[in-house]
Amino acid sequence: MSKYFGGCDVGSTYTKTVILDESGKIVSTNTIRSKMNSEESAKAGLNQAISELGLSSLKELAYIIGTGYGRNKVPQAVENISEISCHAMGVHVTDPNVKAIIDIGGQDVKGISIDVDGTVKAFAMNDKCAAGTGRFFENMANAFELSLPEFSDLSLTAKNVIPITAQCTVFAESEIITLVGEGKPREEIAAGIQLAVAKRCFVMAKKAGAVDSITLTGGCAKNEGLKKAIEKVLKLKVINLKTDPQIMGALGAAEYARQKGLAREA
Amino acid sequence: MKDLKHLYYFEQLLEDANNQLVRQGKEEGKLALGYTCFHMPEVLLNLDNCFSLRLRAPKTGSMDIATYYMSNYTCEFCRAILERSIEGGFNFLDALLAVDACAQMNRCVENVEIQNLIDKEKFFVSHVDVPYKVDDSAITHYVQQIKLKVMDKLSENYGVDISDKSIRKAVEEHNALCRIITEIGNYRKEDNPRITGYEFHILTLISYACPRYLVMEKLTETLEELKTRECDDKKQFRAKVVMVGSEMDDPEFTKIIEESGALVVADRYCFGSFPGREEIILNDTEDVLMQVCRQYLVDSLCPRYMSTEKIDERRANVDYLFREFNADGVIYEQIKFCDYWGYERVLSGYVVNKDYGHPILSIDRPYMAKASGQLRTRIQAFVESLEIKKINKAKEGKKK
Repeated sequence: MSKYFGGCDVGSTYTKTVILDESGKIVSTNTIRSKMNSEESAKAGLNQAISELGLSSLKELAYIIGTGYGRNKVPQAVENISEISCHAMGVHVTDPNVKAIIDIGGQDVKGISIDVDGTVKAFAMNDKCAAGTGRFFENMANAFELSLPEFSDLSLTAKNVIPITAQCTVFAESEIITLVGEGKPREEIAAGIQLAVAKRCFVMAKKAGAVDSITLTGGCAKNEGLKKAIEKVLKLKVINLKTDPQIMGALGAAEYARQKGLAREA
Repeated sequence: MKDLKHLYYFEQLLEDANNQLVRQGKEEGKLALGYTCFHMPEVLLNLDNCFSLRLRAPKTGSMDIATYYMSNYTCEFCRAILERSIEGGFNFLDALLAVDACAQMNRCVENVEIQNLIDKEKFFVSHVDVPYKVDDSAITHYVQQIKLKVMDKLSENYGVDISDKSIRKAVEEHNALCRIITEIGNYRKEDNPRITGYEFHILTLISYACPRYLVMEKLTETLEELKTRECDDKKQFRAKVVMVGSEMDDPEFTKIIEESGALVVADRYCFGSFPGREEIILNDTEDVLMQVCRQYLVDSLCPRYMSTEKIDERRANVDYLFREFNADGVIYEQIKFCDYWGYERVLSGYVVNKDYGHPILSIDRPYMAKASGQLRTRIQAFVESLEIKKINKAKEGKKK
């Protein structure tokens, strides 16, 4: 009978689940909107993942690891590991050539440099402030009355960039409303927002000692406009991962679960 | 581990600056002398009928009024003390003995004084000038300041006995307290320590924030209890850390660190035991006040001192604590907007890692940590990296 290993990343906005088989191949994955209750989010994600495999109970998974801000609420989890370690491992198993990560989640932004074995070499992380996080982008897109992909596409059409001075999410929103009211080109304002966040990512990446071979993870990694802005400020090309960058935390958790589960049996 | 018998009682005491024991001390006719910094020699505030209280602001909510007077970009500890002063939280004090050690606390204490926030007939505020160098002339100046602005004022205003005999008695009592705290603290050197960093933080805070003559008995009982306390077979931590940094009187912060897997085995911060709980050994030949003052200046590890020897001494001290307490890493913490630790945290955090090879986590924090998800994540990730290092080190050892 096949053995499966689960990783569940309970983020502030999305809950991501990955199930691996013994060889480390992804056999099931899903991303759902997080609920108020972290345990319910994790349960929903894991149950959906195991049902796709034809399993009926979480107990049928050999080892589960929780990660993300709700990591200690994942049902049946043997242990929890910080999302910093899990993102490093997830990226490492996806592409061992990547040496550094900029992870932009719903409520935080992190710079992580990865060691040769997929463990964390160094990291930097924002404090409580939501500036430059996924929540920030949601607010900005809302101010434009656009979805996140529409907002990203809009920024890519800009010929010039209008700098956004406010770092605070609340003040930035106010600044943007003022700029829109003044009739400034919306695409240039959007590009200014992307640049402001890219600069924040620059700080985190540098603090973590990132030099080259950088990739993006987290929900905001899908924001093409942000990716371009980061490439501009870091003056290097961001590596595209062949697997969904949003599930890297869950994948890393599942990989740790696989390694630990197999080691336990041995 | 079984809970310490008096821990809950101590935790309750820390919920209010004017706690049950402070009120008892006042009812017994003692003088409550508040201070805010290591550079105000605590032992001298315990002369005769006085007891010292290192001020904390545990009931602080919004700091809007203090922010109005001191601006946003100032240390939250200083603002919290001012806010609570404005709210009447320190009205029980008979004097506030401050030092010109940092500009932000100066502004706080000036506000207390100028706004007449503690309106009592004999109440006074002192600003003692603390030198930035530690040599003979600086010590002489410091002694003069202490004599003029603390000792003489206590004597004139309240008739406090400031004689050498009285100082020697206070030193003896201080040393008795230090011996208890040190003996308790030494248990943190054990492989599986019988006391947590959180518990030790509580005990140390109690020794600063309560009349010492009223806590000695329970602290002694706690020491006796610890002598036979049995640890859980399985270690309740994943790594040991030395905590180094600025003002820290929030035991919840230590709890967050320990819940994230790091046991705090050495406390090198303001309100910690290093420095602060070292005995003062007096000789019979020199002036007593001079000896006391000299020890406080020499022992200080505050980053306000920018001479090379003091900077090197601070880094060497971190290395000493790391080795002495068998730590795996060092957490440099800094309360937001602390001028001195803003530099020290960044520079020494880098140098201690580079020169001594100790893993470092560097964080800034608000006055009250409360529940911070980001903080927990950072500490847990640090703990995980320490674990990996230990595993890799063990693997390398096996290979050899």
